[in-house]
Amino acid sequence: MSWLEDLSGELYARGVTRRDRVRIVAELSDHIACEPGCEERLGDPRALATSFADELATAEARGSAFATFGALAVAAVALAVSLITLGRFAHYPGYSNGLSTALFFPALLGMVVAPQVALVAGTLAAWRALRRRWVTSLPAAEIALIHRRARVALAAGFATMAGVELYVVDFSERLPAWWLGLAGGLAAAGGFGLWVAARTLARARTIVSGAAGPAGDIYDDLPVVGSGWLRARPWLLGALASLVVGLALGAFEAHAEHSVLEGIQRGLVEGLAAAIGFVLLGRAIGARPAGQSTDRGTSRSE
Amino acid sequence: MKADTLNGQLDPLILATVADEPAHGYAILQRLKERSSGAFDLAEGTIYPALHRLERDGLLRSAWSTDSGRRRRVYSLTRAGSSALEVRRREWRLFAHAVEAVMG
Repeated sequence: MSWLEDLSGELYARGVTRRDRVRIVAELSDHIACEPGCEERLGDPRALATSFADELATAEARGSAFATFGALAVAAVALAVSLITLGRFAHYPGYSNGLSTALFFPALLGMVVAPQVALVAGTLAAWRALRRRWVTSLPAAEIALIHRRARVALAAGFATMAGVELYVVDFSERLPAWWLGLAGGLAAAGGFGLWVAARTLARARTIVSGAAGPAGDIYDDLPVVGSGWLRARPWLLGALASLVVGLALGAFEAHAEHSVLEGIQRGLVEGLAAAIGFVLLGRAIGARPAGQSTDRGTSRSE
Repeated sequence: MKADTLNGQLDPLILATVADEPAHGYAILQRLKERSSGAFDLAEGTIYPALHRLERDGLLRSAWSTDSGRRRRVYSLTRAGSSALEVRRREWRLFAHAVEAVMG
């Protein structure tokens, strides 16, 4: 087998796309044609393929994190416009006036809980990518963490847009046609943006990085919570975050609804939802310290 | 001199090499050797990941050309690459001057 065939095989084994493979092999083929017999000086094809794959995996992971954040921003605008126009011009019909509570409650979860998950996971993915933008080859475990954050964010983003669509269906007989069209169209547009970002992420995940090193965690990303004391007690971080979120929303709702009782109820629900989110998704988004993580190896091993 | 000895200087060296005239990978390597009087004798493959990275970062652009029936990828400096090179040149001169002052 020739040096170029070895290189092509190694690039393929690391998930480098056909387009990139063809280009790399053509360039190296030209190099060898310039000075026949120079293969030894080009180095080990496996090492060269690894170098290409590590750098490509890093660049693609960063790109997918930014694409995810951008798509979430579009989805956030779609949600915000739908809710603002609903409240100001279309008049909120009350949850019991829809077609079915089996539609309403999933819609509510999608429109209230999912956006918060998307915001946290998407921001963490983009922040890690931004913070490490000068690194040419990120460790495979760190790439896997960025991918997981982006995946959680996109899933939550899709759930949000699905929630809006369910809401549109649930109140299709109660709300004005213009609002149904507006909200349904915006949610579809937001969903399309998320689909494009999901494709970018899927492409990024095919490239296998072999670079060693730790994934890092939320304590590396956010110096505010980066104290050694808190890092040793990750569940306390979850409890504190849930408390802060619950208190903030409780105070907001108490003010908005002119009812302390209403504020306490919604604050409790919000705090509980945040705690459940931390338990279910904390590991996936790196909210546990790296020392407790088992994430090592290639990005394909997610 | 090995690639890791260059310690982060490979990228600006590549930019400087294509600053005067666009070149393909092999030609860039030859220019590096010639201008350094043979000091930069890298594992030749190492230059290609660097070229691709610099292009992704928008510092280089590349296009296929045909020469003697062979397809080759020719790299040239972008405007951003030109600015980045000037910054790295200034940094290097300051660093070299400081080292020279200390080392004598």
